[in-house]
Amino acid sequence: MKNVENLTPRRQDARTPGAQLAARPITHPVAWVFWVAAVLVALTTTRNPFYLALVLAMIGWVLVVRGRRDLASQPAAPEISVVRFGLIVVVTSALFNMLMVHVGDHVLFTLPEAIPLFGGPLTLEALVYGALNGLVLAGLFAAFTVLNRVLPVRAVLRLVPRAYYPAAVVMSIAVTFAPTALQQVQQIREAQAVRGHRVRGVRSWLPLIVPLLEGSMERSMQLAEAMMARGFASAEAQPDKRPQLLMLVGLVALVTGWLMRLVWQQPLVGSGLLLAGALALGSALVLAGRQHPHTVYRPDAWHKSDLAVVAGAVLTAMIYLLPWPGLDRSSLFYYPYPALTWPAFNPIIGVATLGLALPVFVR
Amino acid sequence: MTMQRLLSVITYALTTVVGLVAFLYPFWLPALHQSALQQQAHAGDSALMLTLLVAICLAVLLLEAQNQGITTKAVALLGVLVAINATLRFMEAAIPGPGGFSPIFPLIVLAGYVYGARFGFLLGALTLLVSAIMTGGVGPWLPYQMFTAGWVGLTAPLCRPVVRWLGGPGTHAEVAVLAVFGGWWGLLYGAIMNVWFWPFAVGSAQMYWQPGVGAMETIQRYLVFYAVTSLVWDLARLVGNTLLIAGAGAPVLRVLRRFQQRFAFTYHPVALQEPR
Repeated sequence: MKNVENLTPRRQDARTPGAQLAARPITHPVAWVFWVAAVLVALTTTRNPFYLALVLAMIGWVLVVRGRRDLASQPAAPEISVVRFGLIVVVTSALFNMLMVHVGDHVLFTLPEAIPLFGGPLTLEALVYGALNGLVLAGLFAAFTVLNRVLPVRAVLRLVPRAYYPAAVVMSIAVTFAPTALQQVQQIREAQAVRGHRVRGVRSWLPLIVPLLEGSMERSMQLAEAMMARGFASAEAQPDKRPQLLMLVGLVALVTGWLMRLVWQQPLVGSGLLLAGALALGSALVLAGRQHPHTVYRPDAWHKSDLAVVAGAVLTAMIYLLPWPGLDRSSLFYYPYPALTWPAFNPIIGVATLGLALPVFVR
Repeated sequence: MTMQRLLSVITYALTTVVGLVAFLYPFWLPALHQSALQQQAHAGDSALMLTLLVAICLAVLLLEAQNQGITTKAVALLGVLVAINATLRFMEAAIPGPGGFSPIFPLIVLAGYVYGARFGFLLGALTLLVSAIMTGGVGPWLPYQMFTAGWVGLTAPLCRPVVRWLGGPGTHAEVAVLAVFGGWWGLLYGAIMNVWFWPFAVGSAQMYWQPGVGAMETIQRYLVFYAVTSLVWDLARLVGNTLLIAGAGAPVLRVLRRFQQRFAFTYHPVALQEPR
């Protein structure tokens, strides 16, 4: 019994309008999306330990400052500790890489060749490289922990593009019904407990699932009738085919463009195709969105601080991603094989990384 | 109408191919790198690019499924089923189950089997999305999870011909087929999710490149990685799914079919006539 009580969903802003207003994010959700995208770009393009450490420090700073202050409500299940997760990932991937990749000049020790796959020389280079990959993964996890903490559920639902209006309606029904479903689970469990039902392994699920399903389906029936009675999409128009066609074209263009750059050594044609694909996808979304005209109640406002966060994120991503004239990006592509060398550090890239710290200064 | 059918078929075929290529890239990319070595600059961003590709495939599929698959009534049904499934995912913590067992798959399989491929796809993908939003589990793994869980629901109707061949709906064979199907997807889901994680753990493409490493050895390495890190969890998911569908399959199918009939009402707006 006591387990279920602390299982109410983490953010309860869905229930009371007052709490929802209080839970409005301080920084605009779209600005946070820019920030996370920039972190992703930075983390995946470099394996240089200096830059990685810098990016991780920025994420950590934002996590400590904003993750505490903006927390929408108390988490239900205890979150996985970022530090613990990071340590586990770094150690595991370092050891695994060392055991699997027998390349590099600095041999630490040698396992007998008789052991399949693991046997052979174990090198320092492989160990270092595995640890760096672990750092990347830990950084990704930390960045998304920030996002999960600062954005309330409703803000995330608003980020769904208008083209996906039906899916967004399904999602908001689900988010609204989830607390009720949890309550229902609790009632069913109490009722079954009175009958002597005890919670053990997989078997205990059966007497819970069927009543839950039956009751919820009944409720969905009422909801469907209520929605139809209020004229929800009473005239079902034949949906437009063009957005889907455009999206497929865009997908094909993106894949061919990427492969051209990667495999067939045609960077110019490839980049052009990538751009065309992105344009096709964007216009498909706009076109599909036009089918669902709607207005937004109390739209989130853009502040100057949001623009600063976006600008910082864009600056970092641009420096990491694009070959600017006069900027030596070779230090980004650090590679410890075949012999471990001291990584280089470019101060310009280092300064650009600081752009990720701007959310810290938002009041 | 035929035009729409053609478009749907192309959508499913294309996203499947691109999705498979993206999921399996750790196996083919190293082979490519051996022929063209001047890739240093692009090796790093391929993981990001592939996550993007998977997300776009998902977007295309969602558009197709939401426009073709759900009527107004199904929106309510789907919303409530997603809520139940997301709740079941919450309860994982409260009820002891074996290892990687998660109670969300049985409902995806059964609903996809009864209500059709598009409904199953939406149920799978949106369940993962909603529960990730509610529990704070949004991350770069989410497109992969949604894609794979969507596939579970999308492929569930494939059981129909098998069931018909074995004696038709309502027999023990139906539940048995679905239980086996759900069990295998439990295992497959884990294997696919590992592929997402793998390039980061071992380094993407170039990082473990070494002379003479072909696709075969890459697969071998993956199998070791898989057996070490997650086989036990995924076996638990296999057993859990199979047991749950075997046990709850028949009553849940009955409920789903009953409501399928009840939801089969149509709505004809009649223009109000002014009384004369």
